[in-house]
Amino acid sequence: MVDVGGVATMERPQRWATPFGLDVSDDDIEMLLKRSDIAAIEADRFPAHTSLEGVLRNDARIVKYRQGDLVVREGDYGNSAFLVLDGNLRVVLAPKLPNDMLGRHQTRKKGFFEALTQLWTNETIPEVRNISGYKQQGLRGSADSPDARVFLQDVPAVLDEHRTAVLQEGALFGELAALGRVPRTATIFSEDDAVLLEIRWQGLREIRKYDEGWRRKIDQLYRESALKNHLQESKMFGGLDDEKLDAVSNKVLFETYGSFDWNVSFQRLRGGSGQEPVLARQGEYPDGLLMIRAGFARVSVKHGTGERTITYLGAGDHFGLGELYAAWKNPEIEDMAMKTSISALGYVDVLRVPAPVLEEHVFPFMEAPATTIMDLASTPVADDALMEWAVDERFVNATRAMVIDLEHCVRCDDCVRACASTHNGNPRFRRHGKSSENLMVANACMHCADPVCMIGCPTGAIHRSVQSGSVIINDVTCIGCGTCANSCPYSNISMVAISDSDGRTITEPTTGKPIFKATKCDYCEGQPGGPACVRACAHDALKRVDFQEFNSTGSM
Amino acid sequence: MSRRSKLPKIFFGLISIVVFGALFWQSKVIMLRLGEPAILTGYTLMASMLLLGFFNFRKKLSMIPIGRASTWLAFHVVLGVFALALFGLHVGVFWPQGLYEQMLAGSFYMVSLSGVVGYALQRSLPRRLTQTGVEIIYERIPAELAEIRERVEALVLECTEKSGSDTVAQHYMGTLNWYFQKPRFRLSHFVGGDAGGYWLRGPGGAARRYINDVEKEYFDQIIALAELKSLVDRHFVCQGVMKKWLFLHIPLAVAVIALAIWHLILVNVYVI
Repeated sequence: MVDVGGVATMERPQRWATPFGLDVSDDDIEMLLKRSDIAAIEADRFPAHTSLEGVLRNDARIVKYRQGDLVVREGDYGNSAFLVLDGNLRVVLAPKLPNDMLGRHQTRKKGFFEALTQLWTNETIPEVRNISGYKQQGLRGSADSPDARVFLQDVPAVLDEHRTAVLQEGALFGELAALGRVPRTATIFSEDDAVLLEIRWQGLREIRKYDEGWRRKIDQLYRESALKNHLQESKMFGGLDDEKLDAVSNKVLFETYGSFDWNVSFQRLRGGSGQEPVLARQGEYPDGLLMIRAGFARVSVKHGTGERTITYLGAGDHFGLGELYAAWKNPEIEDMAMKTSISALGYVDVLRVPAPVLEEHVFPFMEAPATTIMDLASTPVADDALMEWAVDERFVNATRAMVIDLEHCVRCDDCVRACASTHNGNPRFRRHGKSSENLMVANACMHCADPVCMIGCPTGAIHRSVQSGSVIINDVTCIGCGTCANSCPYSNISMVAISDSDGRTITEPTTGKPIFKATKCDYCEGQPGGPACVRACAHDALKRVDFQEFNSTGSM
Repeated sequence: MSRRSKLPKIFFGLISIVVFGALFWQSKVIMLRLGEPAILTGYTLMASMLLLGFFNFRKKLSMIPIGRASTWLAFHVVLGVFALALFGLHVGVFWPQGLYEQMLAGSFYMVSLSGVVGYALQRSLPRRLTQTGVEIIYERIPAELAEIRERVEALVLECTEKSGSDTVAQHYMGTLNWYFQKPRFRLSHFVGGDAGGYWLRGPGGAARRYINDVEKEYFDQIIALAELKSLVDRHFVCQGVMKKWLFLHIPLAVAVIALAIWHLILVNVYVI
């Protein structure tokens, strides 16, 4: 930062100010550009400011894996795809690898008496850990090392006991999770020492945008693997036979709006009025049905000089059906325009089904939509205050937000004590947070629909529990790097220095630095009876709510 | 938005009415047979008091699924009313004879009264706190007040430096300093009055007519902080009352149970 005439100035941050990999050399770039799969990319189609070389240098990195290293885990969220440069990888088909092998927490429900023992076994010293248990997990690297990861300790045994498929040099994988914000669908590990090119979503999006070959390849992979299932799950396309479904899926367009790293800009601009990317604007001609695949979108209508949010849409919702149906049903009306706008709330991934496809395969066989989105705009604007707030603060992401009705809360902190009593004496939330009128969303993990905290965890310690759907942290494999805590847009993850039972801070032997662990609400995973905070509230003031349901009912 | 379920209270209330009716009827039957109905009502009352006391232990047992605390509170409230009625049936008069019985009755009435008052406070004060528009954790309030005071004193110093006048500083030293030292107008905050605001509009803002435009800018910021402090004071008072009434209710409840146990022993040794 430079002080010029009393004004602080700095260079405007650029797209590639922070490269994905810091040590991509010229030799690496040369090697990559010579490879047939990358040489096939039409480099001259890339604009000068986003050259292919620039993408490889800044949005990609070369990662080396050792035998047994887990590259991706089923259920993890990731923001990058991988191209195998050298070596063999294995995709685990069946049976799935157990949770403990994946470095995940093995949840076991406590019995009544086991839960009761916490009354006298809980520590009085904060954040005590028994470190002898940490040595059992296969874990490489530390918080400071870039290649920290969980590895399988006995690869031959895994190969004997599990059916696997081989991924060889040239294979591309992970693109669905990277572009579609969906969980990884399989676990992949390195069979022997392997070298991979990891491309972050921004780079992958550029390559897909400018290179026809890669776009076709990526889209084809999606069409083959997931699109038909996705369409079949919707009411509109569920009744179509295979032939018609193929016809529809071949014409569907994939679109992504906003930034995958929306949490970063949201943290920076919290409360600001940043521009949201618009998917379709009020007054424009409706050209296709938008089906939300991942992320969230705001539906708004012009009101006075501003935009009034009338609802928001998440995965599985669609937009524009009413207008498209009306346009098809009443061809004599020439000026059939969108009555609302839709914009990305941070990030949204959509499928656009062109209107002619619907007119041919869907509308003739469906009844007129009973309600339209405009019905929601018939209420007074004052009724929308809660939703506007929830959307602005991105609480719409919550599936289990801790909402406290301040008009009923007597501020007794029984909820905090109950949380401590089920977490070895340490509460896992703060009874403090953003408020709107009488409702406060406390700083407790909301177990988000779009869990950005899970992206980038080098060991997969933070993950979604298969049994309960809660986002939980495996304390054993957490290396204390703080990636999750930094990513959480709601500041609901804390980094704590751990202690031994005598209260001494546990430190690293070489540097003397304290060992940190990430902690947060685990929704009382493993405790009998559900979340203790809710049960402990004598005034029914505290609830855990899914904001999508909460907004639609307007009550806790 | 959040709705309290009235079902547990209705459920426990109906059961209590039925049980009380049965006890009342059975007492009359025992009396007609020249028996001692106080034995039946006394033991039932003792059991009720122990059950009432168990609500406090439930708070320590959040780790086990023994029902929601809200259901327990509904049970506690209904059982409290039931115990009061049963006490009347058991004693037969409002104020018994004998010093020990009077101590027992006095303690019982006090614990009942503190329970009713506490319950009423817990229903009314949270709403008033919410209407302040600020939310603060009770334990953080002293630090918050100190921070406000520091900000005000910094403004006073800056005002003196920038304006070259010490009118605001003199007013702070003579009048406002008292206000910022600790929570003020506690009774007014407790009963929902606005004595703090009234004071700020009067003595607190009295120096306004003597200051220039530069000073006014700072003075307005100081008054805004004073208004914020008034809201924090309200939290301090109301949250404090909601926490501290239990320091009366629980020891009294323990005393009543202890006195009742001794009463039970005496009755069993000397009367029955």
